[in-house]
Amino acid sequence: MFPTDTMAQGHEGAEYGFAFLDEDAKRELRRSIFKAVCIPGHQVPYASREMPIARGFGTGGMQVTLALLGPRDCVKVIDQGADDSVNAANIRAFFSLTCPGVSGTTLTEAASVIQTRHRIPELPLRNDQILVFQVPYPDPLVLVEPNAATRRRMHGRADYARLWVKLYEDMVAFDEITISHRYPTRINGHYIIDPSPIPRYDVPKLHQADCLYLFGAGREKRIYAVPPHTDAIPITFADVPFTVEEFIDRKTGKRHCCRRCGATDSFLDEFPDEDGNRVFQCSDAAYCDSRLMQQEAAE
Amino acid sequence: MSVIDLPALWRPENHQALFRLILDATARPGQGADLSPHLGGAHAALGALATFCDNTQTLADLTGTLTDADWRFLDVARAPADQAAFILAQGSDAPTFQPRLGTLDAPEGGATLIVKVASLTEGQPLILTGPGIKTTTSLHVTGLAPDWLTARARWCADFPMGCDMVLADDTSVAILPRTTKITEG
Ligand SMILES: [Zn+2]
Repeated sequence: MFPTDTMAQGHEGAEYGFAFLDEDAKRELRRSIFKAVCIPGHQVPYASREMPIARGFGTGGMQVTLALLGPRDCVKVIDQGADDSVNAANIRAFFSLTCPGVSGTTLTEAASVIQTRHRIPELPLRNDQILVFQVPYPDPLVLVEPNAATRRRMHGRADYARLWVKLYEDMVAFDEITISHRYPTRINGHYIIDPSPIPRYDVPKLHQADCLYLFGAGREKRIYAVPPHTDAIPITFADVPFTVEEFIDRKTGKRHCCRRCGATDSFLDEFPDEDGNRVFQCSDAAYCDSRLMQQEAAE
Repeated sequence: MSVIDLPALWRPENHQALFRLILDATARPGQGADLSPHLGGAHAALGALATFCDNTQTLADLTGTLTDADWRFLDVARAPADQAAFILAQGSDAPTFQPRLGTLDAPEGGATLIVKVASLTEGQPLILTGPGIKTTTSLHVTGLAPDWLTARARWCADFPMGCDMVLADDTSVAILPRTTKITEG
């Protein structure tokens, strides 16, 4: 049920050419990652390399991951919470081809590096784990300012007045902040980041975490970071508190539960079943599977 | 020379391993990282330079300890301290230079200082707070002239501008990103 596949055998893997990118490219990525951790939330530029998949399919996250990986790593790739989507499986296959010795896993707790699109795993990440986000749009100020140089100047001065105004107008128009994904989040009291298209449910996990979060945007050629034990506060207004998805059943007033594992403490995907009924299921497949395993073991 | 014949410090797999140790130490300021398994007997400061330097970068060696062979392997351009991306300095000598601090628009241009110290396990503790540190942590260091702390506080006073410090004894490093606040314990 949990294939912890060894992606490639052989420990001669650390020869020149490991991890697809040349050593100069990896060194440049590592310098940018280092500065990104030193300046939490700041989008550090780097020279994005051509990757064998189209930009927009996670090239930024892949380049960050390739700059990290060594033959002792165990890597997990998730897309919308699932390990087995085509996108996640392709990226994991690419790591296995290019990083001899690196093992693959679907288990959150077994991974040293996790690359993700759209979710943070339910299981809290430890201090020996790194989560790498694939980022389509790194700059939250794009909403209010088209000029990149002006946006850089606004970020440096933490000049976010126009972003606040935009959110406030939203709030007045809709009675709530309507952002469901990519919620603007302030890091260490200075930079506001786009935390990538994670749901609001995942945003609080960025705050004072044990693990390191790295963000790679391939098209915009930017890397940024939220270090462990760093403040990450979703921006909001005094009279409109930040809220996360609650999955409350309007009829019963109770929280929906996962139809597979029964969880009432996970982020749920909603879809119609064969009979057209709305059903709910854990978006984090590894979390759902591990709960099922525990239940089977207990029987 | 094929890559197999390279001294350990200049082999790509050691650069990857050194980077991960340095990254972890950067994410957790003050937490020492033992680099010795990947140094091939070299000083930890040279290990940090080997991880980051290449022919796109600039380095000022204020210690005069880098050999001609080190410079050849690093393949990095020489620059005065006030212009260099990387500065190698002796912790026992009070700093008399002004490093690059970056700009508000591009604070990543602030220099990375690699400072050789006598020990990262002995001496009066420095108390550290800031990103990467849950509450406070203490860093023991000897061989760092007190002027370094006052100079660093001045250089890092205007976040996001500043410089980032890698303290290195013979075999290990501890890192002080520009966000780390230091008080003497
Ligand atoms: Zn479930």
